[in-house]
Amino acid sequence: MTSLGLAWRTTKRYRVRAVLAVIGVAIIGALLFDMLLLSRGLLDSFADLLSSSGFDIRIVGSEGVPIVRFPIDGSTRLAADLRALPEVRDVVLIRVERATAQVNGRTPRDVTLVGTTQTGGGPWTIVKGTNLPSASSSSDRCPMLIARRLAAALGVVPGSVVDLSVRPAGIASALPAIACRAVGVVNFAFAATDEDSVATTMIALQDALGLAAEAPRAKAGQLQAADADLVLVASRPAVGSAAAVRAIERLRPDLRVYSNEDVIAQFNQNGFAYFRQISLVLSSLTMTFAFLLVATLLTVSVNQRLGEIAALRALGIRRARIASMLLWESALLVGGGGLLALPLGGLLALALDHILRQMPGLPERLHFFVFNWRAVTTHLVVFGMTAAAAAAYPVWLTARLPIAETLRREVVG
Amino acid sequence: MIGRALRATLIALFLGAAAATAADSPSSAQPPGVLLSRQLAARARVSVGDVVTLAVDANGTRGMMVRVAGIYEPTPDPMRFTAQRLEAHMHLPDLVALVADSADPAARELASAINVKLIDPHDAGPFASELAARAPGVIVRPTSRTRDDDPFAVLDRFHVAISAVTVVGATAFLLALMVIRAEERRDTIAILRLIGISRRSLLTAVAIEGLLIAVMGAIFGVIVAVATESLVNRVFQARYDTALVFVRVTLPIAVRSIAIALPLGLAAGIGASWPLLRGQILSLFRR
Repeated sequence: MTSLGLAWRTTKRYRVRAVLAVIGVAIIGALLFDMLLLSRGLLDSFADLLSSSGFDIRIVGSEGVPIVRFPIDGSTRLAADLRALPEVRDVVLIRVERATAQVNGRTPRDVTLVGTTQTGGGPWTIVKGTNLPSASSSSDRCPMLIARRLAAALGVVPGSVVDLSVRPAGIASALPAIACRAVGVVNFAFAATDEDSVATTMIALQDALGLAAEAPRAKAGQLQAADADLVLVASRPAVGSAAAVRAIERLRPDLRVYSNEDVIAQFNQNGFAYFRQISLVLSSLTMTFAFLLVATLLTVSVNQRLGEIAALRALGIRRARIASMLLWESALLVGGGGLLALPLGGLLALALDHILRQMPGLPERLHFFVFNWRAVTTHLVVFGMTAAAAAAYPVWLTARLPIAETLRREVVG
Repeated sequence: MIGRALRATLIALFLGAAAATAADSPSSAQPPGVLLSRQLAARARVSVGDVVTLAVDANGTRGMMVRVAGIYEPTPDPMRFTAQRLEAHMHLPDLVALVADSADPAARELASAINVKLIDPHDAGPFASELAARAPGVIVRPTSRTRDDDPFAVLDRFHVAISAVTVVGATAFLLALMVIRAEERRDTIAILRLIGISRRSLLTAVAIEGLLIAVMGAIFGVIVAVATESLVNRVFQARYDTALVFVRVTLPIAVRSIAIALPLGLAAGIGASWPLLRGQILSLFRR
């Protein structure tokens, strides 16, 4: 009989303890797997979110990427200058305002109003209706995209009219509401879970800001429109974002220019540090924990079977085969638990992700636990090493087992 | 604008510190005082009483001589514990004199934020609404957080969930060990039952044993946590150069750990021995 066969028979004979050990390893392994997913999950998810917009450079007027952005002076002119740069492929202006949305005179709701020059697609997914029309092709005064959750709450469908006022609810303002027509119901990539968002054109936003009389001229490019607080730039693939960032910094040294890589590096250094630390600490702890417990189980189990092992040795079974059998026993316990840990870890990751995504202000599409094959490989390698390490002491114990003395003590005694 | 200028100022500070100290010529007017964070003072190698140059950029543009009046430990901020706290505090008029554009008279009136302490903190909401109505464009935010928008409340739930998973895994292992232990005593239990000791008495003995193991294990765990608390804090404080306390073993946490461990130990002890206690005596002798 092979070593694996012997190990399998032993495991079957002590099935209760084996099942409990596999369950324990599976649960601890699930936690380890989740920590491996967490170690890069948020970063990968964030990178994916940034790249989904199709733009690789962000320009803001103030330090870092703060919660409150200040408008960039002369952003329309800036956009024209940027488009003239050979390193730049596309430019989009964005401005975010707090506003209220009201349908048919019902209670107004606070919303985040995004004005953008991006048409025909953007950081959103169309659920119903169409995209924002281009400024030249539309006769709509205020075409609007509305978040799915908000649309459902307000009973808005494509074609519905929504009154938008640039002011938070409960605050008196002389700015008149403008009637916007919903052209599409969308999922916004960057919107927080609890955030109600709408998007419209920069011209319409300018209109909502009370610059209605100037809007036609702004549309014609004769007048500076409302300043954007964020400018998105797509660099030419042949040039790359680093060269484009340098060119933009030369053009406007007073602005803060970040490539997606810069933003991710900054996020990795600041916002993500906690999760990287907790992932490292918990991964180390769970593996130490699993090693100690499996090693203890195997050692206690071997101690209980010393007479049996001595008898096998007396029958002529070699030390190497006994050692191999113990290694297989360890591999069956740790391997079985490790494999079960993958689906279990997946389910646990969903639950933990749900908890962490309740953090205020997080984009709905951001996830903390993101599946990647590197985590699976690391998980399997670490478990293999744990199985080998956990079997080391019991193997050493049996290798130096005095056969006759053990038989006399365990069997005759 | 002031925030950006301040950053540049701080960069200029440590570049120009040595030169400025050498240039500490007698002056009739005392230079304005400035407080430096411990980290910045260490980086710039300046100490209390030194006179240094603060400037709006690394080239020393619009520099100002200031005297280091004190060095402070920045208030630990869990939201920014990885950030390098290269900071300085100075009187607002001194900062405005340093960074304001002389060609723009309005620049001297510019501040990036105003902190307001209300007589009644519960008025924060109405106050914010009223101020926003009176001063359009001003962003008013309460500094206190509710439970709903506190990221640490979410982290707390995350930690509790991880703890729960760990406890379940540990319980499975504990049960496996107790099963092995019960198997080891199979013959002893059989003999005890043969000589007339009741199942109830044996069950009570097993329960007490499980309870004792759980109590000892929980107390040992709390001792390990208390003993390593300082080590963990020192490692992370040194790693991030902060005074933030990362781990604090409090009495409620210790009590909660023991309260969870006791029933689990008890249940594991009884659960592992139950198959032996409920069976026929002869089956214990494998007959």
